[in-house]
Amino acid sequence: KKKFRIEPFRHKVVMDPEYGDRTWKMLEHAIHQIYNQSACKLSYEELYRRAYHMVLHRFGEKLYSGLISAVTLQLNAMCELIEAAHGDSLFLETVNSKWIDHANAMQMIRDMMMYMDRTFIPSMKKSTVYEVGLSLWRDVVILSGTIHSRLLNAVFESISQERNGEVINRSLIRSIVKMMKDLGSSVYADHFERPFLEFSADFYRAESQKFIECSDCPEYMKRVEGRLKEEAERVSQYLEARTEPGIVKVVLKQMISNHMHRLLHIETGLMKMLIDDKFVDMGRMFRLFSNVPDGPSTIRDGMSSLIKAVGKELVADPSNNLMELVESLLELKDKYDKIISVAFNDDKHFRAALNSSFEHFVNLNPRCSEYISLFLDRKLRMGLKEDEIEAVFDKVMALFRYLQEKDVFQKYYKQHLAKRLLSGKRVSDDAETSLIVKLRIECGYQFTSKFEGMFTDLETSMDTMQGFYDAHGSSKLVVKVLATGFWPNLLNVACKLPPQLSALREMFEAYYLGSHAGRRLSWQMNMGSADLRASFRNGRNYELSVSTHQACVLMLFNEAQRLTYREIEQATGISSPSDLKRCLHSLACVKRKDVLRKEPERRDIKEDDRFSVKDEFSSKARKVIIGTAFAQKESEPEKQETRKRVEENRKPHIEAAIVRTMKSRRVLEHNNVVAEVIKQLQPSFLANPGEIKKRIESLIERDFLERDSTDRRVYRYLA
Amino acid sequence: LSSPDGIVSLCSDLGVDHTDVRILMLAWTMQAEKQGYFTLEEWRKGLKALRADTAVKLKKAVLDLDKTVRKSSSFADFYSYSFKYCFTEEKQKSIDTESICILLDLVLGSKFRPQVDSLIQYLKVPGFIVLSFFFFFQLQTDYKVINMDQWMGFYRFCSEINFSTLENYDPDLAWPLILDNFVEWVRSKR
Repeated sequence: KKKFRIEPFRHKVVMDPEYGDRTWKMLEHAIHQIYNQSACKLSYEELYRRAYHMVLHRFGEKLYSGLISAVTLQLNAMCELIEAAHGDSLFLETVNSKWIDHANAMQMIRDMMMYMDRTFIPSMKKSTVYEVGLSLWRDVVILSGTIHSRLLNAVFESISQERNGEVINRSLIRSIVKMMKDLGSSVYADHFERPFLEFSADFYRAESQKFIECSDCPEYMKRVEGRLKEEAERVSQYLEARTEPGIVKVVLKQMISNHMHRLLHIETGLMKMLIDDKFVDMGRMFRLFSNVPDGPSTIRDGMSSLIKAVGKELVADPSNNLMELVESLLELKDKYDKIISVAFNDDKHFRAALNSSFEHFVNLNPRCSEYISLFLDRKLRMGLKEDEIEAVFDKVMALFRYLQEKDVFQKYYKQHLAKRLLSGKRVSDDAETSLIVKLRIECGYQFTSKFEGMFTDLETSMDTMQGFYDAHGSSKLVVKVLATGFWPNLLNVACKLPPQLSALREMFEAYYLGSHAGRRLSWQMNMGSADLRASFRNGRNYELSVSTHQACVLMLFNEAQRLTYREIEQATGISSPSDLKRCLHSLACVKRKDVLRKEPERRDIKEDDRFSVKDEFSSKARKVIIGTAFAQKESEPEKQETRKRVEENRKPHIEAAIVRTMKSRRVLEHNNVVAEVIKQLQPSFLANPGEIKKRIESLIERDFLERDSTDRRVYRYLA
Repeated sequence: LSSPDGIVSLCSDLGVDHTDVRILMLAWTMQAEKQGYFTLEEWRKGLKALRADTAVKLKKAVLDLDKTVRKSSSFADFYSYSFKYCFTEEKQKSIDTESICILLDLVLGSKFRPQVDSLIQYLKVPGFIVLSFFFFFQLQTDYKVINMDQWMGFYRFCSEINFSTLENYDPDLAWPLILDNFVEWVRSKR
C-alpha cells in the first residue's frame, strides 16, 4: 500500500529586496539618536517591532554586525572628545560622563533588540548586546591609543596627591574604578590593579628611601603603620576589596622587607629598642615584620645575637662577682621574658630562640654551675620569706635548665648543701625541701637522692643524740652521724682535742658503736663548732661561739699565758697551715671580735707570731659569734680537683648508657651509638664523643662489645 | 717438649736467628700455645703442615715460610696470633708498648715500613722527650699498653689507609682512639 501525502500549497512570499537595508537604516538612525540624547523622539514599540522582524526575516546577522559598527562609530566620536579634554580632572570627568552616556545608551539599545538577545544570539553563540557594549567600550575607548595610559596617569596622580595629604575627588575616582571593574575582572586586574601596584611600589620605594634617611626607627614604623591604615581605607573607599592584600604586600615589601637589616641595626633600631625596653615600638615592629617573609626570623636572629653578645660579656667579665653575675643573668632573663610576652606576642619561636641563646652563653663559662649553686646557697642562708624565695628558686631553675653540665652543678650543690646543713646556717627546712623537689622534678630521683639522704642522716642523728643524752644525762655534745656515700668528700683536717672534749668523744663513740656494731666513725673536726664560756681578766664573761678548731686553740690558753704559732700548731695538731692561719686570723685580727692579742700586730698571720689572751676584750653582746673566713669560691686547684672528680664520675654513666643502648639494639653503628648516648645523657651532662669512644674501647676490652668482623663501623653486643 | 734452649739450638741448626720473624711463623704453623716452648703435639702438627719429615726439608720450609705466610690469606690470623703469642700470663689481655714496638717491626716491618716507623716513633714518644714532642708526650702517656683491639686496628690501618696522604682516614669509621690520636699527631708533624 502506498501512502499518499498531500503537501499544503505554498504561497510564494515575495520579499522586498530592499527590506533589510531599509529597516536597518531606520534602526541605525535610532541608535545615533539615542547617543545624541534625543531618544525621547523615538518610538520604542516601533523600533522593537522592526528589530524583531529583522531577526524573524533572517537579517539577524546584518542587525548584529550593524549594531557593532554603529556603536563603534559613536564610540570613536566619543574618543575624540575625550582625547580633546585638557587637564587631568577634566579628562577624568569626560571619561566618566561618556561612560555613563554609553551605559545608558546601551541599556536602551538592549531593550530595543531584546528579541535578538533572546533568540538569535544564543543560537549563534555570540555575545549579548550588553557584553558587546562593554567590550566595545573597552577596546575602542579605554584600551585604544593614549586614553588608557592617560587615564591611569590621571588616576594615579590623584592617588598620589591624596597620599601626600591633599583632598581629591574620591567619587570620581570611584566611578572610574568601578567602570574598570564593570568591564570585567580581568580588565580590572590587568589594566588597573597591576599598574596600580607597580605605581605604588615605585611610590613607596621612593618614600621609604627618603624617610629612612631622615627619621628614626620607631617613627618610621609608625609611618609604615599609618600608611597601611591609609591604604586599607583607600581600598574600602574607592578600590576593589580584592586589591587590599596586594597593596598591603607592596607597602610591606617596599617599606619593611627592603630595609629589614637596616631597621634592626640603625642607632634607633631594634637593638636599641631591646636595650631600652621599648615595648610599644617593638610590638609595632613585630606586627609589621610578622607580615613579611623572613620578618619574624630576622627579628628573632637579631634578638638572639644581642642576647648572646650581652650574655657572653656578662659571663666572661672577670670583674663580676658571682652574686652580681647570677643576678644579672636573672635580670637579663626577666627582661627578655617580658619583652617576648609583651611585645612579641608570646611567640613560641622567640621563646625557643631566647632559650637557645641563653644555653649558648651560660655554658661558655664552665663556672656557671658553681655560681648558680653558690647563689642559691647565699639566698638560702639569707632566709627570705617563703614566697620571695619561691620566686627566686623558680627563676634560678630556669637558668639551671640551660646548664649542660648538670652533674657539675650537682657536685657543687652537694658541697654547699653539706656546709649549710653542718654549719647549722640553714634557715628554713621548707625552702631546702622545696628546692630539692624542684630539682627532682627537673632531673629525676637519682639526681637528688643523695641530697635527701643527707637530710635523713641529720634526722637520724637527732634521734641518736636523744638516746645518748638519755643514757648519759649530759647534753654538751652534739654529733651528726653522716653516711659517707651521701655526703661530699669533705676535707678532713684532724686536730687534737683538749682532754675535756676527747672524753666526751670517747663516751659517744662507746655509745654509738655499742648500738651499731661494725661501723666506723671518723671525725670531721673542721666542720664542727663549739660554744665556750670565757671569763676575761677584766672580770667580764662572754659566751664565744667558735669552730671546733678555734675552740681547741682557745682552750690552750687555759693553761698558758702566751703561745707561739709553732706551739699552737703542735698542741692542736692542725697540720694544714692555711686552716690554722684562717682560724687564728678570725680569733686575732677581726675588729671587735679579737679575743686574742697577736704580736707583732699585723693584719696577717705569720709563722713566727706570738699570741696571748686579750684581757681587756669587751663586746656589747654577751654572745660573740666568731666566724671563720670560709673560702667561698673554689680556688683553681680545688676547681681542677672537682672537675677531675666529675669526669671520673661520668665514666660509669657513659658506660652504662652505651651498654643500655647496645643491649637493646644488639648491632649498631658507631655514630649512632655516640648520638644515642649523648641523647640519653643530655639531662645530666653533655658527653664528649672522644670520651664515649674511649669508653666503647674499654667495653670492647672487657668483652661487653665487639667490632663487627666486616663492617668496622658496627659494634655488636656480646651477651 | 722443647724448651727455650732447645728452640735456640733448633734455630742455629736451621741457620736462622731466633728472633727472626720466621720462627714466629713456625710457631704459628704449629699453633704453639706458649712462648718459647713447643709441645710434641704442636711439633707434629706443624711439621705435617709444612710437609717436612727431614731436617733438610724443614730447613727449606722454614726459609720459605716468610713468603708463604705473607702471600696467604691467613696473614691476618697470623697477625693476631703473634699478639696472643706474646702473652706470658694467664688471662693477659694487653702488651706493653715496648714489646709492641718490637713485634710491630717484626711482623709488619717489611711490608709497611713508613707506617711502622711512624707508629713506633709515636708509641715511643715518651722515650725521647724532645721539646717539640712535649705535647704528645703528655698525650701519649695514655698508652702504656696495647690491647687486641688496638693491635688489630694497626693492621687494618696499615693495609687500608693511604699513609702518604691519610686522605681516606675517616675518624667516623670508629677507629680505635689511639689511631685517631696517631693520625692527628702525624698530621701535625707534617
